[in-house]
Amino acid sequence: MTLEETRQVVGIVVFPGSNCDQDTIQAIMDLGAIPRVLDYRLRQLPAIDRLILPGGFSYGDYLRSGALAAAAPIMDAVGEAATAGMPVLGICNGFQILCERGLLPGALLPNPHGEFVCRLETLRVTAVPSGFQGLSVGDRLALPIAHHEGSYRVSDGKLHELFEQGQVFLQYSDPDGVVHPLTNPNGSVANIAGVTQGSVVGLMPHPERAMAEYLGSADGRRLLQAWFGQKGGHGC
Amino acid sequence: MLTYAEVGLTLSEYQEIQRLLSRNPNDLELGLFGALWSEHCSYKNSKPFLAWLPNQGPFVVQGPGGNAGVVLFNQDYDVAFKIESHNHPSYVEPVQGAATGVGGILRDIIAMGARPIAVADVLKFGTNDKARALRQGIVEGIGAYGNAIGIPTVTGSVGYSALYDANPLVNVLAVGLLPHLQHIGADGAKPGSVLLLMGQATGRDGIHGASLLASQDFGTETEAMRPTVQVGDPFMGKLLMEATLRIVREGLADAVQDLGAAGLTSALAELAYASHVGVSLDVAAVPCRETGMSAYDIMLSETQERMLLSIPEANLEAALSAIETFALPVAEVGRVMPGDFLRIVCETQLLADVPTQVLVASCPRQVLADDFVERFTEPPVGESAPVPLTLDHDLGLRVIGHPDCQDRSPIYQRYDSMIQVRTVWGPQHDSAILRIGEGADGLQIAVAAPSRWALMDSVAGGYGAVVDVLSRIATQGSVPLGLTDGINGGNPDKPEEYQRVAGLVWGIAQAAQDFGVPVTGGNVSLHNETHSQAIWPTAALGVVARHPHPETPIPDRPSGKGLKIAVLNPPEELSLGGSVLAELLGRIGAYPRIVPDRTVQALRLMGDWARDPDTVGLLACRSVGIGGLFVALARALMSASPEYGADLRLSSDRAALELFNETAGQFLVFLDPSRQATWEHSAKRAGMTIAILGETTDSPQIKIQAGRTVTWELQALWQAFREGGEYHRVG
Repeated sequence: MTLEETRQVVGIVVFPGSNCDQDTIQAIMDLGAIPRVLDYRLRQLPAIDRLILPGGFSYGDYLRSGALAAAAPIMDAVGEAATAGMPVLGICNGFQILCERGLLPGALLPNPHGEFVCRLETLRVTAVPSGFQGLSVGDRLALPIAHHEGSYRVSDGKLHELFEQGQVFLQYSDPDGVVHPLTNPNGSVANIAGVTQGSVVGLMPHPERAMAEYLGSADGRRLLQAWFGQKGGHGC
Repeated sequence: MLTYAEVGLTLSEYQEIQRLLSRNPNDLELGLFGALWSEHCSYKNSKPFLAWLPNQGPFVVQGPGGNAGVVLFNQDYDVAFKIESHNHPSYVEPVQGAATGVGGILRDIIAMGARPIAVADVLKFGTNDKARALRQGIVEGIGAYGNAIGIPTVTGSVGYSALYDANPLVNVLAVGLLPHLQHIGADGAKPGSVLLLMGQATGRDGIHGASLLASQDFGTETEAMRPTVQVGDPFMGKLLMEATLRIVREGLADAVQDLGAAGLTSALAELAYASHVGVSLDVAAVPCRETGMSAYDIMLSETQERMLLSIPEANLEAALSAIETFALPVAEVGRVMPGDFLRIVCETQLLADVPTQVLVASCPRQVLADDFVERFTEPPVGESAPVPLTLDHDLGLRVIGHPDCQDRSPIYQRYDSMIQVRTVWGPQHDSAILRIGEGADGLQIAVAAPSRWALMDSVAGGYGAVVDVLSRIATQGSVPLGLTDGINGGNPDKPEEYQRVAGLVWGIAQAAQDFGVPVTGGNVSLHNETHSQAIWPTAALGVVARHPHPETPIPDRPSGKGLKIAVLNPPEELSLGGSVLAELLGRIGAYPRIVPDRTVQALRLMGDWARDPDTVGLLACRSVGIGGLFVALARALMSASPEYGADLRLSSDRAALELFNETAGQFLVFLDPSRQATWEHSAKRAGMTIAILGETTDSPQIKIQAGRTVTWELQALWQAFREGGEYHRVG
């Protein structure tokens, strides 16, 4: 069944300072789903099937990236929906917010070189989050990153557990899918670029920016299709 | 009592104010004049030569004078675009200076009711240790603002010279889209409307930014001007952008004016003057960040992220509720009235009352001598560029490793170049290509600022800068819609500096005329001089163009071996004047005066080929600019994946001149050998020279037979490109 037929409704949470919301809405529409903008002041979610926290600089990244948005009125409802098993995807700042909220393990620190970095990276799929279709362990995806605070860290002793429990979704790798320190753009522990916990997934790369080959890569389309449980695309 | 000198005015200007007002201005009024009669706001020195620039063309919707130029893009959209400088603040406080440079030009675009879709920046840095620190801060500042507000930085230009050590240049081009023929600006305010001031509360930052910081040379006291630099808040900028665009979209405002240089003073005066109305402002109603701010402070503050809206009474409730959605501070600060005045009150007390005509349009301007432009006819006499007789390996590495030719990725990777998901070609290419709609025409944006070309002959340099940006457009067969120019120069009170800057504009004007592309707006920054050391006269040119097939650009790199490598329109007279190689050899020399007719013809033919590449067998191309043909070829080969090489045969005595001259208007083309008869015929019919140099190979090296054979491994070129031209010596 295609998305067109199921017409899934995806809530896009917009905070003051979110700036990838329009790009995400466009990507969702390209895939045939129905985007629904959710104001950060809502306390209850309308009838939706899935949720995306898009990228940007919510609240200007003041205090700490994602820290203020994590306490926005809508986040109680987001937490409840996640607990109830609704698929929730956090992209870049959305990932930071989910970590700050405690819906995902770990934290995202400023890049150790102190600089924003924007470029296409190769990501290796290390574990396939639950509900994803059409992605396999070892697949490589070319996706852009654009962040100042993407250095993923976990508390001591936690890393092993993340790998053991299949919570490490994406790792920065070389074009052949080999993960090593030279392919680490931001000092993330074990090159981790995305993690998952239950029905919640967070990642630093921007799939909504990689929707066509002429934009540099169509692998973002593949990733989002996989999130929708759609077997699109092909291995590479 | 303030003196005229304290606000940056001269005695004769003060006397003119007395004459026009028929009285002495009070302190507050004097402050208003100091701001609006400054070089930065009045263009008193540059207006006479800006009049040379052609500003009309088939696509022009709005020419110079507004916050930005507007050109027709297609039946749905117009494009607003303008380049602006923020040089002085970026030297005094690089991070905030550059950040507010981005914020300021974005607000100009937004005040035209356009949603910004791209930023491009032209940067010039010095070469000493301090300059490196400034570069670090300036790049950080540009990224900090653009990345956070969510506007991609899609292209740019970076150049270096010791003459920019204490005067780095930060010129930012912003581009926005607005619905076709939607008009909003400073010129629609109607008597009876309410003036709303939206955004940041007014603070003491940036007072005298326009009149003192931006309009005087630098000396030892410059450091003390740090408090006159504004601080940017992109988060507030984002909210302000969304609120302004919503109010414009819903038709709630009759006029919009952003607050930039000279803050409320300039915004009110511009709005009143453009709308032919009077305005009255109550300083007591202006929300302030600090207590005890005087009317003078409030009027001259350059606090960022503020917008002045003129709202008809009937729309007031709707406008306030729209602003409330974004949780933005807003206040009713004044009224539009019939008349011609800028009146400042504090509750019931009258503080200042000046005719806007006098304030905005009566500043005495520089008058040019009748024979002034005759000085531009002939190139100045000076030492000529060197003529190297042999080609050697070392020259190639030093040119591609020169700071002006090196890899820019350490800079542009710190900017978000992809947000808004329009960027088909980003900063790794010579121009940016953005998609606007699915399967529709796209927007091509190019900038160039070849300031070395203007060093000895600024007329030639200005002309060359225009040809440089338009050549980048020609490689895609795009239609140029309009140009914008950022003019940067030294102290205009020195006749030789004044003439150099005027010559630059004369060259731009001639080229814009010859190529039929209007200049719809721009910026002039003078006084880029420290301890009497002026910068190179620097023209930052920007162009926007309609791209016919943005999803499939004409490649800028070869895709196979055996392709013919040729130069379209090689110069008849070869000169290294103004080139990187000439600088490396110790004598820069004058940049050649470009021959108009055949160059116009060359760009036209290149455009024709790019629009129909299959017929002539055009497979890839690049325009030739800084670093010459050699750098264009090396970059084309290095960016190809897999890598290809080139095998060229040149005449032994002319090889270095052919490879390293920087005469604009020539193109490096990769052609399908099976279509040779077609392209040769096409060039011949157009009266154009096409010189075949060799072909691509599958070994990753450039091999040139010119008497003897010189070979550069791509690996070595890559290393010089990434790490500098001296690398191979150290290694």
